[in-house]
Amino acid sequence: MLEYAVFFFFATIAVVFALVVILHRNPVVGALSLVASLFSLAVMYVLLDAPFLAALQVIIYAGAIMVLFLFVIMLLNLQHAPEPTTRPIQQFLGYFTSAAFAAAMVYYLSKYALMTAMPESRFTSSARMIGERLFETYIFPFEMVSILLLAAIVGALLLSGRPVGHRARIGEEMK
Amino acid sequence: MPFDPTDIVLSLVKIAVVLGVLLSVTPIMVWVERRGSALIQDRPGPNRVGPMGLFQSLADALKFIMKEDIIPAGAHKWIYTLAPAFGLLPALTAIAVVPWGRPFVLREREIFGRTVFEGGRWFHPIIADVSVGILVVFALASIGVYGIVAAGWASNNKYSMLGAIRASAQMISYELSLTLAALSVLLAAGSLRLTDIVWQQSGRFLLFDAIPLPAWNVFSPALWLAFIVFVVSAFAETNRLPFDFAEAEAELVAGYHTEYSSMKFALFFMAEYMAMATMSALIVTLFLGGWDIPYYQEPPTFAGFLLSALAFVAKVSFVLFVFVWIRWTLPRLKYDLLMRLGWKVFLPLALLNIVIVAAFIAARWL
Amino acid sequence: MIPIGWFLILSAILFAIGVCGVLTRKNGITIFMSIELMINAVNLTFLAYAKQFGQMHGQIFVFFIMAIAAAEAAVGLAIFISLYHHRETIDVDEANLMHW
Repeated sequence: MLEYAVFFFFATIAVVFALVVILHRNPVVGALSLVASLFSLAVMYVLLDAPFLAALQVIIYAGAIMVLFLFVIMLLNLQHAPEPTTRPIQQFLGYFTSAAFAAAMVYYLSKYALMTAMPESRFTSSARMIGERLFETYIFPFEMVSILLLAAIVGALLLSGRPVGHRARIGEEMK
Repeated sequence: MPFDPTDIVLSLVKIAVVLGVLLSVTPIMVWVERRGSALIQDRPGPNRVGPMGLFQSLADALKFIMKEDIIPAGAHKWIYTLAPAFGLLPALTAIAVVPWGRPFVLREREIFGRTVFEGGRWFHPIIADVSVGILVVFALASIGVYGIVAAGWASNNKYSMLGAIRASAQMISYELSLTLAALSVLLAAGSLRLTDIVWQQSGRFLLFDAIPLPAWNVFSPALWLAFIVFVVSAFAETNRLPFDFAEAEAELVAGYHTEYSSMKFALFFMAEYMAMATMSALIVTLFLGGWDIPYYQEPPTFAGFLLSALAFVAKVSFVLFVFVWIRWTLPRLKYDLLMRLGWKVFLPLALLNIVIVAAFIAARWL
Repeated sequence: MIPIGWFLILSAILFAIGVCGVLTRKNGITIFMSIELMINAVNLTFLAYAKQFGQMHGQIFVFFIMAIAAAEAAVGLAIFISLYHHRETIDVDEANLMHW
């Protein structure tokens, strides 16, 4: 019973804050709501016997990615930028399609998805088990991801950095 | 899951004890900080309220409550109000996974006509012994950034904003070296569970086959480097001098909480000291043997538990005092120096230490 | 334990909300956040099935998705910063130089 209470409480939080993310005009409020939403998803992960991934979810998403979002919003001072206008037909189509999609998914899932209780898990997923899998079965994808991350670092630096020679130009202007 | 009232009562007792201690850290630490700074700077310090100024914190608290609670006109009301709570939440919760005493056996007894603890049961002095304990601490610590960012942004004040951006950049940078330094310990212990890490540090080892030392990680030849990195990063992570760029009162008025007054400011204040206490508890658990008493084997009884808990509190108090001591001894760094230190010195050192520990494990020295 | 259906429904709703955000908003950062929301909805599904079938593979997959989401966020935000430096806006409709 307690599990159901926890599930529905955090599911409500996740959905409500997700709605705030897409409906609120102010991106800072949106980013903070997304943090709340992702945090409640971490609680779901704990319910699903994945405490290691729940911790990672908070560390990576809340601790790193969303802080990056907030940083960019604040540094670019976007919270005062006027929201670009959207054509009403686009708005309508967007809301209509996604609502229809959600309704269809919920209808068919509640009809066909398993509504019997989940099996008691045969494993308690520990960090050790995930680590063993990562370094045995999935060693190649793991290395690929590390290369991808390196490429992302270089790419991000290159893209967001000032153009080459910018500092030199400022120096000349100062003179 | 069978519903066991004894379990719930025990948990509530643990939570009450830990929260009680944690909440009283702030007034005590404020007093220690002010008297300590006075001691170091050779002046009397607060000495009017109570003997040796002991009740100064109470007077401060009263003052905080009486002050007007101002919300600036340009502030974002909701976020401005919620920010102190964001800041306080991780400081209050992270301590839940830290063990604070030796487990002991509760003997069977009659309470209110009911038999409890049938056949004796173990009492584990930790609120939640989760298998990913150390990750939970870091996860909650990373939430702490939001309190500062939200406060700085919602205040709509450029000093608050600058303070918030500086503080979060600093916290993110040092979180890396903090986590990597802790990783060395995890590698040596082979577990993410903090209780395992403490158990692994009880007992002793022989240095150079001659000097018996407690088996604390700080004495381990493979981990002392991690200890240094961890402690310095902890200072940066809790925004203490010499790394207190979040406030930097000489440069930024008061940093991210410039606009805050009354109890909202008090909450930030409390969060800062509680984060410090949590960080000290973590330093003690990871490197200073947790509740382990050197050269002494505690019995698994209530007395042994009390002794070990006292040892834990004593160690944490010592680390907290070191925090104060360093604050009033070292001047503030320059901001670019701080970032350079974090990324170019401590991050490589932490990585190097991981390699060292791995080599030790490969050579079967650990 | 809670039936898997509930988790799938929650995941579907979150995914739909993400889709809605991408379709109706023009602020680049908000669109990006909606994408993160969709990624997380998928992660939830992976973990639900991992639990249902008692297999670790779903969890490993989520691990990889998180790592890639981090890379994606870094590069994506860098693109928006660059766009803002050149165009002074992050309206995605304004980024139409390669549009014909």
